[in-house]
Amino acid sequence: MEEKLLRLQEAVSRYIHDGDVVAVGGVGRNRSPMALVREIVRQGKKNLHIVGREKGMDFDMLIGAGCVSKVSFALVSLEEFGLAMNFRRKAQEGEIELNEHACNSVITSLRAAAMGLPFLPLRGMFGSDIFRVNKNLTEIQCPFTGERLAAVKAIKPDVTIIHAHQADKYGNVRLQGSPFEDVLKAWSADRTIVTVEEIIDNEEVRSQPHRTSISYICVTAVSHVPQGAWPASCDRYYDSDRDHVMEYARAIKSPEGFQAYLEKYVFSGRS
Amino acid sequence: MGDYTIAELMAVCLAREIRDGERVLQGLYSPLPMIACLLAKNFHAPNMVYINTADTIDPQPREVPFSTAAPALQERAVAYIPLWQTFDLAQQGKLDLIFLGAAQVDRYGNTNLSVIGPYEKPKVRLPAGAASAHLCAIMDAVIWVPRHNARVLVEKVDFITGQGYLTGGNARKRAGIAKGGPRKVVTNLCVLDFEPETKAMKLVSTHPGVTLGEIKENTGFDLIIPEDIDETASPRAEELEFIGTIDPKKVRELEFH
Repeated sequence: MEEKLLRLQEAVSRYIHDGDVVAVGGVGRNRSPMALVREIVRQGKKNLHIVGREKGMDFDMLIGAGCVSKVSFALVSLEEFGLAMNFRRKAQEGEIELNEHACNSVITSLRAAAMGLPFLPLRGMFGSDIFRVNKNLTEIQCPFTGERLAAVKAIKPDVTIIHAHQADKYGNVRLQGSPFEDVLKAWSADRTIVTVEEIIDNEEVRSQPHRTSISYICVTAVSHVPQGAWPASCDRYYDSDRDHVMEYARAIKSPEGFQAYLEKYVFSGRS
Repeated sequence: MGDYTIAELMAVCLAREIRDGERVLQGLYSPLPMIACLLAKNFHAPNMVYINTADTIDPQPREVPFSTAAPALQERAVAYIPLWQTFDLAQQGKLDLIFLGAAQVDRYGNTNLSVIGPYEKPKVRLPAGAASAHLCAIMDAVIWVPRHNARVLVEKVDFITGQGYLTGGNARKRAGIAKGGPRKVVTNLCVLDFEPETKAMKLVSTHPGVTLGEIKENTGFDLIIPEDIDETASPRAEELEFIGTIDPKKVRELEFH
């Protein structure tokens, strides 16, 4: 096994490239890889195609900072703090391409990639205007039963970014709570970057292999970033920082407010 | 109205739609459905299965969280279930009910969480519909509306994100949808369901203190109003006490400020 510990800055500069398809871990404001997101913004990555199911501040920040040209999603929202205004503005101005999905169709896109397939069938979707407008969804007939089904095109991530609880220096990762689609995202991608709360010894991993959620064979880089999900939650370590999310929600009401936020918290502040 | 808030009444109304033994999924930004699931399980539906966006089965949180995918929804759960496995259950026909929020709901229970205005050049780009376009075509749904007005309850949604009864009658069947559909719409003014033949929205009960005129005035289409309309039953004292215990921070009031 190869050692994969890298500083955050190096992990992002080495393994995330302009134009990449980037699957982003976590859901809402829970275990979102926010330190990785801030580093991507600092490095000014461009033309990313970001992929996730129900996303919040992570997607909104990447979009607002101009890192994104395409979004594959089923929801982008700040939950009780309202609309994700950068997402809303850029979508309304036609500055980002939207690949709007249902949760399961975007997840199934990743499952197809994970299975090495160009598409997968799924149920549901008929009658929704999403099915009508999204070119990555179409109708097929089951070759065995004749049944009408939806088909969804695979989304193959170049890189997946995740914040997790623990990993050893080789990239054997432990998730200790809600799994979300993080294992699937890692499994479907060519490269995976993981930030963790704690680095653990390989002997500890080997003593309890049933606790390894993502093995080193699909992890490219590990970075030790305690609080790496902040202001999102990381189960068993900290809850989401609602005051900060509220501050973010206020800041993004205007592009100027958002720029001031980035100056304070991303370019010169806490990472 | 008695000594309770509209949020509490709506949570109890949503809970009443859960039948014992059903498998129910609660989504993201769903404070009232979260409380409704816990209420149902604690009172009339002890055998319902409560699955949520924190990817857990049957949690027993001491205190409900603000984010409905937050770590508190892991407390005393029996297992984790990644959402894609919950969707596998749904596709097998083994998930029974979801709750839906919406920016617009129309006469036939179609819901919009995508855009106001034309899709390619929207006036307002909304957050999108999460699981709805997939699940609404394979199972039952209950829609909740914290602000019942003519901008939300509209003649026709600008965009069908979640499938209701489409254009009514047997339109779902014609579209290739085998089962399911919205059961009820619970608003801050009343409870509604759908007429069995036409699938058009029909008044079931008015909340205490709400007049028929108020409901008509705040609905953007003609509701079916039957001769006999009940008054929505008020929450019971033990239900209110339970809500107070699990929700001391009043997460239930989030959508009513």
